[in-house]
Amino acid sequence: MTGQRRRNVLRGVAVLLSAGVALGLSACSSGSSSSSSGGTSGGLPKQIKVVAVEPQTGPAAFAGLAALKGYDVAINEINTSKYLGDSTIVLDKKDTAGSAQTAASEVSSAVADKNTTAIFGSVSSNEAVAQSPIAQKTKVPIIFTQAGSQGVVIGGYTFRCTPPMATYYTKMTDFTKPKGYKTVGVVYAAWSPTLNEIATKTLSSMGLNVVASVGTQQTTQDFSAPISQVLAKKPDVVSILLVGASNPTAMKQLRQAGYAGPVLGNSGASAGNLKPAGADGAGMVWAVDYSALNKSPSSEKFIAEYQKKFPGETPLNYAAEGYDAAWWLARALKDGNGAAHDVVQQNLAKVASTGFTGAMGDLKFEGNDLRLPGVLIQWDGTKEVLLPST
Amino acid sequence: MGQDLVNAISLGSIYLLFALGMSLAWGSIGILNFAHGSIFMFSAYVAYLILGHVRLGIFAVLAIGAAVGAAMSVAIEVLAFEPILRRAKDHRTAEMQILIAGIGIASIPLAIAQKQTKSNPFGLSDSSFQVHTYAFAGIRITNVQIIVVVAAIVLGGGIAWWLHTSRNGLALRSIGVDSEVSSMMGVDRRRLALLTMLIAGALAGLSGILLTYQLGAITPESGDSLILKAFAAIILGGVGSIIGVVVGSYVLAIAETIVLTQTSGLWVDAVSFGLILVVLLFKTEGLFGHKEVRRT
Repeated sequence: MTGQRRRNVLRGVAVLLSAGVALGLSACSSGSSSSSSGGTSGGLPKQIKVVAVEPQTGPAAFAGLAALKGYDVAINEINTSKYLGDSTIVLDKKDTAGSAQTAASEVSSAVADKNTTAIFGSVSSNEAVAQSPIAQKTKVPIIFTQAGSQGVVIGGYTFRCTPPMATYYTKMTDFTKPKGYKTVGVVYAAWSPTLNEIATKTLSSMGLNVVASVGTQQTTQDFSAPISQVLAKKPDVVSILLVGASNPTAMKQLRQAGYAGPVLGNSGASAGNLKPAGADGAGMVWAVDYSALNKSPSSEKFIAEYQKKFPGETPLNYAAEGYDAAWWLARALKDGNGAAHDVVQQNLAKVASTGFTGAMGDLKFEGNDLRLPGVLIQWDGTKEVLLPST
Repeated sequence: MGQDLVNAISLGSIYLLFALGMSLAWGSIGILNFAHGSIFMFSAYVAYLILGHVRLGIFAVLAIGAAVGAAMSVAIEVLAFEPILRRAKDHRTAEMQILIAGIGIASIPLAIAQKQTKSNPFGLSDSSFQVHTYAFAGIRITNVQIIVVVAAIVLGGGIAWWLHTSRNGLALRSIGVDSEVSSMMGVDRRRLALLTMLIAGALAGLSGILLTYQLGAITPESGDSLILKAFAAIILGGVGSIIGVVVGSYVLAIAETIVLTQTSGLWVDAVSFGLILVVLLFKTEGLFGHKEVRRT
C-alpha cells in the first residue's frame, strides 16, 4: 500500500470511528433509566416514563413546541402536588424534525422501550398517521393533540385531546350567517388532510356555496395566481386555509389583489403567524378549540399555572391541549393505579366516557376523541380578539 | 388574462433571480451548489435581524442581503468545495462530492434559523420600504413586483453580456470549456472561481431579499422548495446558457400559471415537470444548450 493510499485509508477509518462514537454517545444519552416501568402489573412505579414525539423544528414546530410547554406545565403540577402519590411522571422529548419517517422511527423506539408507559403523539397529521398504527399494533397508549385528520384515532390504544377541526369549524356560521354570506372562494393547502376536509366538505356544510376552490401544494410560496382565480368568481367572502408562513403571504397578496373584506381562516394562522402581514393580516377570522382570551375559571387557572413556568407568556391553544392531554393521562394512571399499557388504556377510555374539566373547559369525548364547541378569533392586525358567541 | 400574465412574469422573475446564481456557478466552474437555497434564506434572515435594531430602506437591505450571500458563498467555496476539488481525481468525481457537500452545508444555516425562529415566518416589515399596489386596465401590480421583474431582466441580461464581452467573462467561459488548457493560457482558475461564487452568492442574497419583500414573509425552509424549480429551469434552458436559464424560468412559470388557471392547483408540479421531460426527450441538452460538452 503506498503512503498516500495508507493515509487515505487511515483518514477514512478515523472518520468512521468518530461517527460511530458520536452515534453511540447520542444513543447512550437518550437511554432510559431503569427505575420506571411501563409493564408493571399493579401499583404505580416510582418514575412513570412518557415519551413526547413532537416537531420541535420544521413547519409545525410552532405547534409542537407549544404542546410540549403544555405537557411541561401539567406534569410539573401533577408531580409537585403529588397527585400520583410518590410517583412522578418523567417526560422524554423527541423531535420529529417535521418528517413522518422520523416521527414513526421515534415512536418505534419508544414502544420498543419497555419502560415507556404512554406516548404523546405528533401535532402534525402527516406524522400522526405514521405513528398511530405503530402504537396501536404494539398496544402502547398514544395520545395526540391537533392531528385532526382521518387515520389518527384508529383503535382502542389511540386517543386525541383535540377535537378535529371539522367538528368545531362550523362555529364559523356564528360569523358568516349574520353577515349574509352565500358564496365563498377558497385557497387551501391541499396537502393537509385537515384543511383539505374543511375546504372540500365543511365549508359547504355550513350553507356556503363554494364558487371557486384552488388547492395549493406544499411547495407553493406565491399565491397570486390562486388568489386571482378565486377573486375572478366574485365570491361574497374569501377563505384562506393555509399553514404557517403561507398565511401572511396569502393575506398580503389578497389585499394587493383588491379584496378588502373579512377572510375565513384556520388556527394555522395563530401563534403570531400573521404578524409579518402587518395591517394586511387584519380581518382574518378562525374557529379554535381554545383561546387564552376566554375568561372561564378553568382557563384562568391554567393560565396562572402556565405563567408560573413561563412568565409573561400567553399560552396558545396547543399548550392548553397538551396540558389537558397530560392531565387525562394522570387521571387514568391514578384511577387504574398501574402503569401497565392495558391498564392505562382502559382507564383513559374510562375517563373519556365521563369527561373532566380541563384548561379548555368541560371536556366531552366521542369515543377516544375530544369534542368542544369552539370559539371564534379575529386578527385585528396586531393581536387576536375573541369574537362574542351567539 | 392580463392579470394571469402579470402573475406569470412575476413568478418567472422570482425563479430567474434564484436560478441565475446557481446557473452561473454550474455553467462556468462546474459547481452545482445545493447550499444556494440556504444562502438565499439566511441572507434574508440576517437582514430581518438587523432591521430589528435599525430601520433601513430597500437599497440598504438589498446591500446587506448581497453582502451576506456573497460572504457565505465564498466561505463555502474556500472551506468546502476547493478542498474537494483538490483531492478528487477528476472533475466528474468532484461534482458529485460537491453536490453532496452542498446538501450537508445547507443544513447548517437552516438549523440555525429554525432554532432561532422556531420555524415561524419572518419578514422585512420593519424596513422603511412600503409596498404599494397600482391598478390599471383591470390589472394590479405592486412596486415590489416591478422591482423584481426589472432586477431579473437587468441581472440576467447583464450577466449574459458580461460573460460574452468582458475579459473575466471570457476567461470564465474558457474554464468551462477546458480548465486545464485555460490554466496553461494563464487563466487564474482559483481567482475566477472565487469571483464566480461571490457573484452567485450575492445573487442568492438579492433574490432572498426581493422574494421576502414580495411574499411578505418566508420561513427557514423556503429556500429548499425553490432549489427544485431552479434546477428545472436550468435543465430546461440548457446547462451553461444564461439565456437558457432566463427562458427556462419564464417558460416554467408560464406553464405553472396556465395549469393553475385551467385545472386544480394540484396538477401544477406534475404538468410543469412533465413538460420539461417532453422537451428533454426531444432535445436532451435543453432549449439553448449545446450538443457537445461545453459549459459556456
